[in-house]
Amino acid sequence: MTESGNRITITVKSFATLREVMDAQLRMKVMEGATIRSLFVELCGRYEGLDERLFAGPGTFRDYVNILKNGRNIQFLAGLDTPLEDGDTIAMFPPLAGG
Amino acid sequence: MTMDGYAGRIAYADLSAGNVTIKPTPPELKKQYIGGRGFGIRFLTDMVDPKTDPLGEKNILVFAAGPLTGTGIPLGSRYEVSTISPLSGTAMSGNSGGVFGWKMKKAGFDAVVVTGRSRRPLWLFLDHGMAELRDASSLWGMTTGQTTDAIVKDLGDQSVRVACIGPAGENKVLYACIINEKTRAVGRGGAGAVMGSKNLKAIAARGDLPIRPADEAQLNVVKERVKKKITENGIEQALQKYGTAVLVNIINENYVLPTRNFQTAHFPAAEKVSGETMAATILKQNKGCFSCIVKCGRVCEFDGEHGEGPEYEPDWAFGPDCGIDDLKAVARANNICNEYGLDAISAPTTIACLMEMAEKGYVTHPIRFGDAKGMLLLLEQIVKREGIGNELAAGSFRFATKYGHPECSMSSKMQELPAYDPRGIQGYGLATATSVRGGDHVYGYLISPEILGAPEKLDPLITKGKAPWVRTFQDLSAAIDASGMCLFTSFALGAEDYADLITATTGMKTDPAGLLMIGERIWNLQKLYNIRRGFGRKDDTLPARLLNEPLKEGPAAGQVWRGGEMLDDYYTLRGWDREGTPSTEKQKELGLM
Repeated sequence: MTESGNRITITVKSFATLREVMDAQLRMKVMEGATIRSLFVELCGRYEGLDERLFAGPGTFRDYVNILKNGRNIQFLAGLDTPLEDGDTIAMFPPLAGG
Repeated sequence: MTMDGYAGRIAYADLSAGNVTIKPTPPELKKQYIGGRGFGIRFLTDMVDPKTDPLGEKNILVFAAGPLTGTGIPLGSRYEVSTISPLSGTAMSGNSGGVFGWKMKKAGFDAVVVTGRSRRPLWLFLDHGMAELRDASSLWGMTTGQTTDAIVKDLGDQSVRVACIGPAGENKVLYACIINEKTRAVGRGGAGAVMGSKNLKAIAARGDLPIRPADEAQLNVVKERVKKKITENGIEQALQKYGTAVLVNIINENYVLPTRNFQTAHFPAAEKVSGETMAATILKQNKGCFSCIVKCGRVCEFDGEHGEGPEYEPDWAFGPDCGIDDLKAVARANNICNEYGLDAISAPTTIACLMEMAEKGYVTHPIRFGDAKGMLLLLEQIVKREGIGNELAAGSFRFATKYGHPECSMSSKMQELPAYDPRGIQGYGLATATSVRGGDHVYGYLISPEILGAPEKLDPLITKGKAPWVRTFQDLSAAIDASGMCLFTSFALGAEDYADLITATTGMKTDPAGLLMIGERIWNLQKLYNIRRGFGRKDDTLPARLLNEPLKEGPAAGQVWRGGEMLDDYYTLRGWDREGTPSTEKQKELGLM
């Protein structure tokens, strides 16, 4: 189901130190056919400092950054080219650990 | 004084005879087992008949630091306690940080071997190379905090550090722990109950004897290298800011956060008990162990109460696993565990087991998931062995089995599982199923590659290729536990770093392969002891729920834990037969026969 013709709605969540530069949770409308890559272009344009916290270089995540689409790490989907679908939840984690 | 990072002495405290003998630390023991867990499992193997009752007079307790403990290496603070676990029945070793391990070495001791049983309560005083047993009658019944304060006051010396048991250990709750500096725990397996069974209330250490490395100049070079790696590692930075409870959200968002006694793996209210929420609400400051530069410890204050923690595991166990989203109640429960000396994983997960059984009508009790007040009351009853608390003091497996529903115990080898659902993390499931001390996460932390992506990302949903990772992580963890280093260094350091630290400190040249072989030796020795206690392939598994009931949501929806696809590969890689027994060749290779 799409909204506004060719736009879809997703939820974006950020955690830990990423909350220092962006909202903890937001709902966004993106173009149908959008990918994780295009989402990050938009997010990094919107939130100053986010790009350097996530990326080591163009298209390359920093070590131990984890991006989940509905609980699945995008590394095991199509990486940055993973398509977004209506109702998706994207969870973004900086390097972290515990135990 | 030795020039090899060791204190040079081991104290043998015979509680039955009421005396202490002091002997030099054997060179061959250092070479073959490094220290810590290695020393403990070797002593256990050599001194205790495997048929021994864990709470009987003939079981022993070994407190052992490693050569890297207290040498000023970042995060080099740990000591281990080894014994036969009264909860799982396995040869267990658990470690703790804080300052006690360093102080034990400054008092002149690499290890303390406690044997026998006293007829009256005693405490052991380690002081500048001397050791003596003292009367503890006035301490019996005290909490861990009261005990610590009383000994420090008695000695009139604030530099003294104390490891002790609380009422849970005295009452031999099977998952009673040992607490040092009031809040640091040798948590799993019930070492505190063994200490209580021996009428040993505490060990106190005082001293300022030097700990000298073999090659100080080289050690300084390696220290700087590892310090740089740890400081620059993003994972370690997050640990400092949010503590271990930062895991709550990422584990939940992966849909592998066990909820309501592993009935689901996603807790909608996880944010309320997350590390982020803790940092924004009850966190007063962070705190580190001796020589720590990460400082993941949490000092929390709320409603006039002051305490440390909760760490991720108790945060999860008292929180989502009990269906509770009240962070203050979770922190209060954690404080009770510290004060009374209870394992803050097995206690809450045993309560979660009761909650499920009560909700399903398997046992008549008013507790339900989400009942924080009832949970706190049950903790007190467990410690005092009052009412149903007396049955819960035996752990979830014995409790659930008694009422005819062992499937409600989420345990492996009778020890409760930690905060990850193996149905969505296949390699971790293998690591905990094959853990030589029962349900566990720190004997091979596969969460690191399968969820956190360190040192590289592994797909958590597949089984193929996981056995070699499990074996390597288990062996490396055993070596780290022997060295005296904190396991959290492994997010930033590799085997070559530990090998270089050990070489510079001890003068015993080793490399990554040599280090892993020592870890493998310790692992196999622990395994062999368990086999002699009757453990075998049938025990290297997980609860029926995880094998038969698929997860219902998240990326692992429809999946169960598929241990059968990995176990034979794992045994083969280890050089074990189909029953999980190390082959003669393997034992010879490791110098175990």
